[in-house]
Amino acid sequence: MTAGNGPGADVFAPPPGERAFDDQHPPRQDLLDDCVHCGFCLTTCPTYVLWGEEMDSPRGRIHLVEQGAHGAPMSDSLVTHIDRCLGCMACVTSCPSGVQYDHILEPTRAQIERRYERDPGDRLLREAIFAMFPYPRRLRALRLPLLAYQRSGLQRLLRRSGVLQRLSPTLATMEAVAPPVQHARPAPSFVPAQGARRAVVGMLTGCVQREFFPHVNAATSRVLAAEGCDVVIPPTQQCCGALSMHTGRRAEAQRFARALVDAFEGSGVEYAVVNSAGCGSSMKEYAELLQDDPAYADRAAAFADRVRDVTEVLVELGPVAPRHPVPLAVAYHDACHLAHAQGVRTPPRELLDQIPGLELREINEAAVCCGSAGVWNLLNPEPANELGDRKAGNVLRTGADLLVTANPGCLLQISSALRRADKQVPTAHTVQVLDASIAGRGPESLLPA
Amino acid sequence: MTTHPTGPVPAEVTGHDTAGSVQELARRCRALLGDEAVITDEARRRTYECDGLAAYTVVPALVVLAADTNIVREVVAHCHELGVPFVARGSGTGLSGGALPHAEGVLIVTSRMREILDVDPRAQRAVVQPGVINLDVTAAAAPHGYYYAPDPSSQQICSIGGNVAENSGGAHCLKYGFTTNHVLSVQMVAPDGALTRLGTTAPDAPGYDLLGAVVGSEGTLGIVTEATVRLTRAPEAVVTLLAGFRSTDDAGTAVSAIIGAGVVPAAIEMMDRLSIEAAEKAVACGYPAGAGAVLVVELDGPAAEVETQVGEVREHCDAAGAFEIRQAVDDAQRALIWKGRKSAFAAVGRISPDYIVQDGVIPRTALPEVLRRIDALARDNGVRVANVFHAGDGNLHPLVLFDGSEEGATERAEDVSGQILRLCLEHGGSITGEHGVGADKAAYMPQMFSDDDLDTMQLVRCAFDPRYLSNPGKVFPTPRLCGERPGRRSGTHPLQDAGVAEIF
Amino acid sequence: MIATGVLDDLAATVGGHAQEAGSQDGVAGVPARWVAAPGSAEEASALLHTAAGLGLTVVPRGRGTALGWGSPPRSADLLVSTERMDRMVEHNPGDLVCVVEAGATIDAMNEQLAQHRQQLALDQPLPGATIGGTVSTTRSGPRRLLYGTPRDQVLGVTMVRPDGTVATAGSKVVKNVAGYDLAKLLGGAYGTLGLICRLVVRLHPLPRARMWLRAWYTDAETAAAAALRAAGSQLAPSAVEIRRTVSAAGADVFVLLEGTRTGIDGRSRQALELLAGATETTDIDPEDGDRLGVLQAGPEDTLVKVAVPLPGVAAVLHTVQAAESRYGVPCHLQGSAGAGVLHVVVQARERPDAVARTVTDLRRAAVGGSAVVLQAPAPVRTLVDAWGPVNGLALMRRVKDEFDPDHRFAPGRFVGGI
Repeated sequence: MTAGNGPGADVFAPPPGERAFDDQHPPRQDLLDDCVHCGFCLTTCPTYVLWGEEMDSPRGRIHLVEQGAHGAPMSDSLVTHIDRCLGCMACVTSCPSGVQYDHILEPTRAQIERRYERDPGDRLLREAIFAMFPYPRRLRALRLPLLAYQRSGLQRLLRRSGVLQRLSPTLATMEAVAPPVQHARPAPSFVPAQGARRAVVGMLTGCVQREFFPHVNAATSRVLAAEGCDVVIPPTQQCCGALSMHTGRRAEAQRFARALVDAFEGSGVEYAVVNSAGCGSSMKEYAELLQDDPAYADRAAAFADRVRDVTEVLVELGPVAPRHPVPLAVAYHDACHLAHAQGVRTPPRELLDQIPGLELREINEAAVCCGSAGVWNLLNPEPANELGDRKAGNVLRTGADLLVTANPGCLLQISSALRRADKQVPTAHTVQVLDASIAGRGPESLLPA
Repeated sequence: MTTHPTGPVPAEVTGHDTAGSVQELARRCRALLGDEAVITDEARRRTYECDGLAAYTVVPALVVLAADTNIVREVVAHCHELGVPFVARGSGTGLSGGALPHAEGVLIVTSRMREILDVDPRAQRAVVQPGVINLDVTAAAAPHGYYYAPDPSSQQICSIGGNVAENSGGAHCLKYGFTTNHVLSVQMVAPDGALTRLGTTAPDAPGYDLLGAVVGSEGTLGIVTEATVRLTRAPEAVVTLLAGFRSTDDAGTAVSAIIGAGVVPAAIEMMDRLSIEAAEKAVACGYPAGAGAVLVVELDGPAAEVETQVGEVREHCDAAGAFEIRQAVDDAQRALIWKGRKSAFAAVGRISPDYIVQDGVIPRTALPEVLRRIDALARDNGVRVANVFHAGDGNLHPLVLFDGSEEGATERAEDVSGQILRLCLEHGGSITGEHGVGADKAAYMPQMFSDDDLDTMQLVRCAFDPRYLSNPGKVFPTPRLCGERPGRRSGTHPLQDAGVAEIF
Repeated sequence: MIATGVLDDLAATVGGHAQEAGSQDGVAGVPARWVAAPGSAEEASALLHTAAGLGLTVVPRGRGTALGWGSPPRSADLLVSTERMDRMVEHNPGDLVCVVEAGATIDAMNEQLAQHRQQLALDQPLPGATIGGTVSTTRSGPRRLLYGTPRDQVLGVTMVRPDGTVATAGSKVVKNVAGYDLAKLLGGAYGTLGLICRLVVRLHPLPRARMWLRAWYTDAETAAAAALRAAGSQLAPSAVEIRRTVSAAGADVFVLLEGTRTGIDGRSRQALELLAGATETTDIDPEDGDRLGVLQAGPEDTLVKVAVPLPGVAAVLHTVQAAESRYGVPCHLQGSAGAGVLHVVVQARERPDAVARTVTDLRRAAVGGSAVVLQAPAPVRTLVDAWGPVNGLALMRRVKDEFDPDHRFAPGRFVGGI
């Protein structure tokens, strides 16, 4: 068997028509060459799990990109199958050859967004989503009507009728995953360390996290403080650009990235701590994102070096605050952007394991995405539901009292799937469990009243 | 290597011009399956142009994603009627080009037929569709204390259908045998579209052991649409040892001593310095630093027996000069030891831009000699060879490393790879232990078998597939013209001619 | 005489080792004309080429221990005896493989192999048999549970086709997937596809210690359940046999453990727990245990091989008991409950109809499996199809047509009249 760019490569003869990719950061040939076509990625790829076809596997997508790189036009097939990728990066974890699929996918998506004419409906949907999500203020504006809608009983009525499902799957998904709205208090800009100061860290508050899960941010700052961190929360921070970056909206992502670098610069923090997996993974990529910007390239790289998931920082520092028992069976769900994109699998488990009385349970098919994947569930509602149902089933089979994960999107997605199945498993972010343990609040605080 | 061995089937073999028939076939398949499962679009078809062996590529004329047995049966029946060649493909992870498509044929993909139909621990059987992933059978049986024994390194992704076609082995086949020892019955679509069952749920089905011929026939005798497989009781104890040696010679000495003492480990795997380096880079498996070779020895069975065997194996390794022996005490440690071994092929991608995975077998006792000769071959040709192998049964997987961008490197690597196979044959071995002949090694078959041997094997082919439509061009370098019956006589009985009949 | 001319022609190909058949040379009552004994594959090729030219029907023969198995052939002009092909050609102990000619007896092989503490792990239901005959009729005994059947031991084969072509498949190494596995096809083919001349078989180390346990149960169903427990346990027994003698209400379960002395001590204690419910449990003389695999069928008895999925063993036991009481035919049952392969000996030569009904009942009980009449007196044979229903028969006929287009090799002896 010959692999790599050896004899196998000649077969790509450039077909006629305009080439799929132009010279502005096309997917790199050397990265494409790393794929030896072994197929080890297949069974962890959520779309392959769903449809069992080559074009919707990482290996098949790389092949499609390779066709493009060899001069094939920007075909509907290429766009369709790249669009269908969740970007969960499970393939990066499972690849023995070290293919950097993430660095193949993102430039390809950027090329598609710049060069491919989407049909009007699809375009409109994408614009609508991106006019909303990355902007905390707009999300906040959405909260009030949502709150009214949820309280009115209309929500239960609509959910039961299934009418939304028939009208617009995307709208239905948006509605279904919408979290119960909570009263959000603005985060303080500084939380001092308890006891001796061991580090000064900056905290990202995020968009969805800030508006829909403010208590996760609060718990994060409390846990960090309890472990001896001065927590700086730069008030000017906005979206990190993750959603834009993961969907190929590179220019938009760059704008967000610059602003975030600015917001954290001069805050004097050792780490920029993130509690949302998707945000953390994109912030760690800022060096690449802003590499062509002479004013930001170095600063972005320096910033990216300091980005840590909250669990990484906590494990690095080691526990000082005493843990109180939380006697619960906990199923830990690996958020793709934490486990696959950032390779953070052990720290959250280690932290949960340190809690007395807590029993950690693994979820079957752990490597397969829950179907949330940023805004993928909004763009691909039906398959997202299938993946969500599959994940929910695996979660239920653990028999755990509580589902813990590190990403707001996953929590919303899995909860929505559980509701579809008429089941309920309380959910929490890893730091909320730690917070409950450190504060000695007991398991009740994590379970619904 | 822009040429490939499986061009269009010569018209004199099929007796048919296939090109015009594919359109008609596509039309019928659409009517049967709808548009979504019938792929005609060029870009999509191209993603199916190779399996796990990317050196050969042929874009199939048509791809059909089969959902069930009936669809396979109908598509094959249409192929038979229209004279269109067909190739079955599971996960597309084979390493010999066994699922290399046919340019004027249809690729029938079974990756959507992935239902485990039954798991019966009392009968020690499972019934699965061909697209079911090997490891998923074990996952389904595990809660009952059973597992599916054949464990190719690709078990997390390869399908049972592909395993049946290739008679896949794995590290543990030293003790537990190959796919052929674990399949009791299959339902298959014969090349004329007839749905047939071979074997029974019980062992020793009466009649010819056609199942034994079909398993490992690389898709040339039809398409398996369901398999009844044996489940094996999970052993009471499993101990995995990792031993570091200074050299492959030392490790080989240990293997001989272990086998010679009458110990039958579940697996004995060897990796040399280069392959250890690659695995380390890929999966950080933490093998003993500075090892010139490692042995992975797994012992399983009743706890009382395993304990004794572990002691013996450790002694033999010590005596052969092992400088470090680790014993995995839990599943996580065991998994890490195996991870290094199982990812070894793809991992060499980390230490070399290009490589060829070879698969050959020698009698185990020839190991030291053959390794020395491979070393010399590599030196003489200026390539590097990493060695990974199933040391217990002499199945070598030399990985020939090269840089395709270097002038002449590809040719040298291919030459070395081919010479390794000749070395295997010289020592009375085989050109393939588990990857299959496929498209890759059909040309080597005449070096291992005589014309008469190949002709005799193809009698079976003629019985199943006289029109030569099922995965044509694989396994055999030249097709046999079926219907040619040398020695067949008709008319008067020869004894009558000889006058004998009158006398008696 | 022209007939003498045939003998001369045949004899010329095998160095004179051919003769007229005697009265003892029949195949299941079908008289043969000539017997020839080639000394090599080359001689066999010449012999069969000549026989093909003469259009002779041919039946291969080892030591003749199972020549009566299968249906009687329609004709048997020439018996090809493998008695002169009985050498062990190659044995490299370090490779655990040996190359042997088809006419070698398993006894002789194992005697030689034992010097290296190795064995061909095949039992001999019919003592004195050759390896070729054992493979052709795919015979097995108690230890098939651990080691498998001839199908699992044969790695390569050299055969002579009915037209005299010599062909080899497989190889001399344990692991090989190059080409079709013709050895599988010839195994259990009863000589209908050609003559097996040489085999490559895998070997196993002789166990250092072994122990046979016997447990007696007062009712057969409890015995079957115990056997199933033992087979599904983690004891890794080499054999789990069940034996129910004529007119007995209960049954014996035998378990063979092989391994090291210390290992077996511990395992035998676990085995006794698994065999709970037995009236009596004891270890027995290993030689007695080994004799369990020998078939107990007299020449006039009907011998039926019943294969079932494991949970079906109880149903077969039940059927045997019911047949005894309903038809009054004495039945002896013995076999590998662990593998689901049982042999039933029906001892009622004067009651062919009752025997036939018993066979029919056994066939009905063997859901998902088969019941094959290996041996039966002629009156029984006329009443039952020896083979029963067979999956894939149409393809089998096509295979036969390809290998033996004139249907000269053991015609009619095999399934569907093949």
